[in-house]
Amino acid sequence: MGKLKMMLLMLAASVLLLAACGKDDEKSSGSAGETGDSGYDLVKKGKFTYAASGVYKPFSFEEDGELTGFDIEIGKALAEKMDLEPNPVTNPFETILQGLVGKKFDAIIGSMAYTKERAKQADFTEPYYYSGGMIFVAKDNDEVKGPDDLKGKKIGVVAQSTYEAPAKELSDNIQYYSSDVVALKDLTVKGRLDAVITADIVGFEAIDNGFEVKEVGKPMWVEQPSIAVNKDNPELTKALDKALQELIDDGTYKEISEKWFGRDLLDIDLEGVELLE
Amino acid sequence: MPEIFKTFYDVFIQTYKGFLEAGLLTIEITAIAVVIGTVLGIIFALMKISNSKILQTIANLYITLIRGTPLIVQIMFLYFGITSIIVLENFWAGAIALGVHNGAYIAEIFRGSIQGIDRGQREASLALGMNRSQTMRRIVFPQALRRAIPPLGNQFIITLKDSSLVYVIGVSELFGLANRVAASNFKQFETFLVVGLYYLILVLIFTALLKWYENKLDVDK
Repeated sequence: MGKLKMMLLMLAASVLLLAACGKDDEKSSGSAGETGDSGYDLVKKGKFTYAASGVYKPFSFEEDGELTGFDIEIGKALAEKMDLEPNPVTNPFETILQGLVGKKFDAIIGSMAYTKERAKQADFTEPYYYSGGMIFVAKDNDEVKGPDDLKGKKIGVVAQSTYEAPAKELSDNIQYYSSDVVALKDLTVKGRLDAVITADIVGFEAIDNGFEVKEVGKPMWVEQPSIAVNKDNPELTKALDKALQELIDDGTYKEISEKWFGRDLLDIDLEGVELLE
Repeated sequence: MPEIFKTFYDVFIQTYKGFLEAGLLTIEITAIAVVIGTVLGIIFALMKISNSKILQTIANLYITLIRGTPLIVQIMFLYFGITSIIVLENFWAGAIALGVHNGAYIAEIFRGSIQGIDRGQREASLALGMNRSQTMRRIVFPQALRRAIPPLGNQFIITLKDSSLVYVIGVSELFGLANRVAASNFKQFETFLVVGLYYLILVLIFTALLKWYENKLDVDK
């Protein structure tokens, strides 16, 4: 078997070599990134790599093969402030936090709201916008007037989202999705779902796109989507907070927000509103 | 109904550039997985039919583990487990997971086709004075390979379709892109119809190549 074994070993070695070639811009060591003068680590040198789901219009979505949206543009503006090249990537929302902990990217700018639970796994910056958790139902549904009407009803939410826990409190009949858009679409199919809980802005976007759904009442709470950063990288969190404040101060933030929503998302009255933590 | 055709056509035209790129990624992942799977398959098939109990046990364990767990779990496991030790891009994590997964199935295909070669062939070859390694290389394996082609082709087609699962770790292949396109144009039905068509075309092309190759290898011609 000597020669045959050799041949196989060489084949196997060549495959591994091939695999190694594919990661030429990766670090060969286990530690992610390099520490620059700035004091923070980056997954890819000179680039600010940030992740979003890419299925969350108008925050992150694909248009003509390009990733775009509010989150993506905020990331670009932040990268520019830090003199880095923006490198947005997509990752399904259910595994996005694990991806951050596993150092697959530097940060999540993917409409991930700060919660105490998530703060155990990652550091969060100050919120970069506020949004409301809202109930959506089919257009012809007149039964649901508020959260209490959802007791025992079938509710659709995105797995691992902030809407999961409130939905569970209302009902134990939960249908999980990886995209809010698919969940909202299912609302329009008879007999599939009674309600979807998602961000007000996302639901309104779907309505604008001709989905036969409507919102129920006012937002139940306000949440604080923030930038999540790996706990091993506190310097980056500081730098991002600083850059975000600069964006707000010099009017860039307002410009981006106006472009996407016609208003400043940070400019809301938080008096007496329940902030989700 | 004509309305559907129109939107389908629109979606097709709007997205073909992206899907061609994503299709290339799907082909790349499939190709790498097939190469890795074939190498592993040959190694483990030989281990399984070797005389060493230890090698047999290792091969059996590998095949049992792979066949007994879903591919999606293996992808997650590799991406989040193994890559905490070595840094792997999601593309490679996905391709390697798919390759390792395939190795188990391909090992069984090879084992079956090697053991299916008539014993007389081996005996004749040994009687001619070839040693065991030469017998395997010159006599048994070439014949076994030809027998393995149809089930291997089948396995490659399965791999091509299974590659859609690597979207869970954020690879932008056909299915991952379709997800994002649908979330952006709000036309799920048409988008997945389009992406289904791309997969179908790829599989048909591959089937045609396989047929051509089988004919080429056909000794009776």
